[in-house]
Amino acid sequence: MIFNSIAFLVFIGIFLPIYFNLKEKGQLWLCLVGSYFFYGWWDYRFLSLILFSTCIDYFVGLKMQGENDQAKRKQLLIISMVVNLGFLAFFKYFNFFIGSFDAAMQSVGVDVGYNTLNIVLPVGISFYTFQSMSYTIDVYFKKIKVEPDFIKFATFISFFPQLVAGPIVRAIDFLPQFSGGARKFNWDRITSGLGQMLWGFFKKVAVADSLAPFVDQCFAAPEGFSSLHLIIGIVFYSFQIYCDFSGYSDIAIGLARILGFDFPDNFKTPYFSKNFSEFWNRWHISLSSWLRDYLYIPLGGNRGGGFGSYFFTIIALIIPVFLSGWYWLILVYGVVFAFIFRFAKKDIKNKVEVFTYMNLVITMFLGGLWHGASWAFAVWGYLHGTYLIVQRLIGPYYKKFVQTLRIPRPIVVAGDIAMVYFFTCLAWVFFRAKASKEQLLLGIDDFDIASQYIAGIAAFEGMSFGTVINKFMVAKGVILIATLLFVEIADFKFDFSSLIKTNPVFRVISFATILWIIAFFGSFGANSFIYFQF
Amino acid sequence: MKKVIWIFALIALFFLGDRVGGYILKSLAEKSQFRYSRMYQQDIDADILLVGNSRGLMFYQPYIEKKTSRSTFNLSYNGMPIDLAEALVGDYLEKNKAPDLMLLDVTMCDRMNNQLVAGFNMYGPYSPRIRQLIRDTSTTMANATILTHLYRYNSEVFQRSLTYLNKSDEDWLLDRRILQNIADDAVNYPEYNITIPEPAMPALNRVIKMAKEKGVKVKLVINPYFPAFADRIMNLADFKSTVEKATGEKVYNYSKSVTDIDGFGDYQHLNKSGARLYIDELIKDGIFGSLKAQETMKLK
Repeated sequence: MIFNSIAFLVFIGIFLPIYFNLKEKGQLWLCLVGSYFFYGWWDYRFLSLILFSTCIDYFVGLKMQGENDQAKRKQLLIISMVVNLGFLAFFKYFNFFIGSFDAAMQSVGVDVGYNTLNIVLPVGISFYTFQSMSYTIDVYFKKIKVEPDFIKFATFISFFPQLVAGPIVRAIDFLPQFSGGARKFNWDRITSGLGQMLWGFFKKVAVADSLAPFVDQCFAAPEGFSSLHLIIGIVFYSFQIYCDFSGYSDIAIGLARILGFDFPDNFKTPYFSKNFSEFWNRWHISLSSWLRDYLYIPLGGNRGGGFGSYFFTIIALIIPVFLSGWYWLILVYGVVFAFIFRFAKKDIKNKVEVFTYMNLVITMFLGGLWHGASWAFAVWGYLHGTYLIVQRLIGPYYKKFVQTLRIPRPIVVAGDIAMVYFFTCLAWVFFRAKASKEQLLLGIDDFDIASQYIAGIAAFEGMSFGTVINKFMVAKGVILIATLLFVEIADFKFDFSSLIKTNPVFRVISFATILWIIAFFGSFGANSFIYFQF
Repeated sequence: MKKVIWIFALIALFFLGDRVGGYILKSLAEKSQFRYSRMYQQDIDADILLVGNSRGLMFYQPYIEKKTSRSTFNLSYNGMPIDLAEALVGDYLEKNKAPDLMLLDVTMCDRMNNQLVAGFNMYGPYSPRIRQLIRDTSTTMANATILTHLYRYNSEVFQRSLTYLNKSDEDWLLDRRILQNIADDAVNYPEYNITIPEPAMPALNRVIKMAKEKGVKVKLVINPYFPAFADRIMNLADFKSTVEKATGEKVYNYSKSVTDIDGFGDYQHLNKSGARLYIDELIKDGIFGSLKAQETMKLK
């Protein structure tokens, strides 16, 4: 079931009145049953997967609580990790690894002939797996208490507003909210939740879905379009994916607020970031903070790292070379590492810095792969890892440079924002590039599409607006993006969220305006959310 | 109580704004020189009615009118399916003087297009046929149209009507030339077959019948494709004979009639210069009737 569908409207129309008339236990049960119904609407067979994962982590948690032997606690954690990551690996990455291994073997003349399986990817598996794992890891490190109530725990894993596309809410933030009595019909929560949901619908239905056809056209066959057309295409995609995903998050957070739960923000105007660290503090915050806390820091984080870092670095860097057949990458690694170790030799501080770079690359690489079983996603992650490294390397010199030239601050800020946006868009090309079945048969893969796209832009041919096909879509897209940016800037300056709560006239006018915009610009094809596939 | 007022205020404001906005947009659409706005607002007296999808736009009106001295009206629109064409032709014949000739590009029968039907929502108030088509396509859409008037204008069709607010749309045709690399790559284009959806042939028959009942002469054509691309359509001959069999009308095949690469905007569309070459061919073959007879008619 997707939020922008009639089915969901009917579902929530029935759910809410019952919910607010139940006591605490009843509300919990309703949330659980409702969540399973919501998920089962897509494919009821995969409910067993969530249920199994839930049971494992619930019992692992209980066992850990009564266990003081650290070795046994570790064993229990490993059981949880193996089950969760095992499901993820099988359903999401099995065919990918088999296919990549097969291709790699063929490239060295060995035909292993492994067959891929026809596996359906369960919607939202990456989200609820990470959410569930956060619980067992936190219990292991004694950051949270074990949840003894199975219904509460199962609801935490499967809570329908954020089940299939996040935000990934940690047990430490979510489980305590289940206590404290029945949730009453709270007018303030409902209006502010509705406001956020409406804004989410605007982002999804009006902006993302209106930009999608133009973007699809550009990426279907990039070689057929002028440079300007492709530039508009990637700018549109940057806003499509932002609005699609942050729109879903807004709807999920707003809906949860109506139901009496507070989730942290998942996006904070990421395209206004002045550097890449800031970008990752503003983009898909629940995932980036998850990766930071459960991957980057355990690897060593900013403190460098030990054996784990070496091991993962070798895995992360060497395996793609063999799987992709891009042996020239070894040469690139050689040059990069020679450069890095040239500095690393100086003192221990630089050595730590080198491992920090590695940790960044590994984290971003795995973060890329989290999005999907494709090397294009991995490259997207690599690129962002590289951006973070380059930023750390040249950041101090850049600051000095700006100070020496005494460039006015607004110009520096605008330049920084533009620079971050430009490189983010460059990475988006790899993220979006997807060869069709027909193209794959012709030997054209995702990287060819991405290369064609970047080459098409770099050619700088056909930069007049006359070369752009379907100017109506462009005009509509520009109007919608301008509206989005205007509201985001105005919200930053005047705090719309507070105004909605405190000023009823403002609330009525803003809600009505969003509804008018959705009616006039919305795309009502019940289009699925992009992040469902992740 | 305040909360109830709040809800009513929101509902009232939404509908007020929606109706006012809808009225303003309706007024703009009615003033437009766009083909369908003119068709529903004015009396059209055209000698030749042209029908097709985006490929029907290559019936380039200014050149046809110049060369034949006969007035034209083009109902073509990008991606137009035959069921929508049926509604529009029906409305045209009902509201206006019947033309002498209707020229229809049958390649528009290759798909149904519910999305475009939704785009014609804005003409629903003037046409029971379009309203029925929308109801048949989606009851949700039909109900949404009743609920919000702004939604009627949520389409590219409306945006085009704004573009032609103060100018004629008769010049609407590609002006660009196909990119050389695309042209060269046509030979590698995957082979494909034109498929005819089940409702297409009955709808085409009804269009022909409606026209004939009004005394309109009907001619069916296949408009030009980029020649190398036409070679990739494996069942073009079968498609032609299927249409001929289903309608009992001859289909004139012009799929490879234009060979000059400069005449194409892309594989499926002629540009203005190509359209001129194509129309010269149609005139030469007497598709528009005998020019002498036409001139005599004008003199009368």
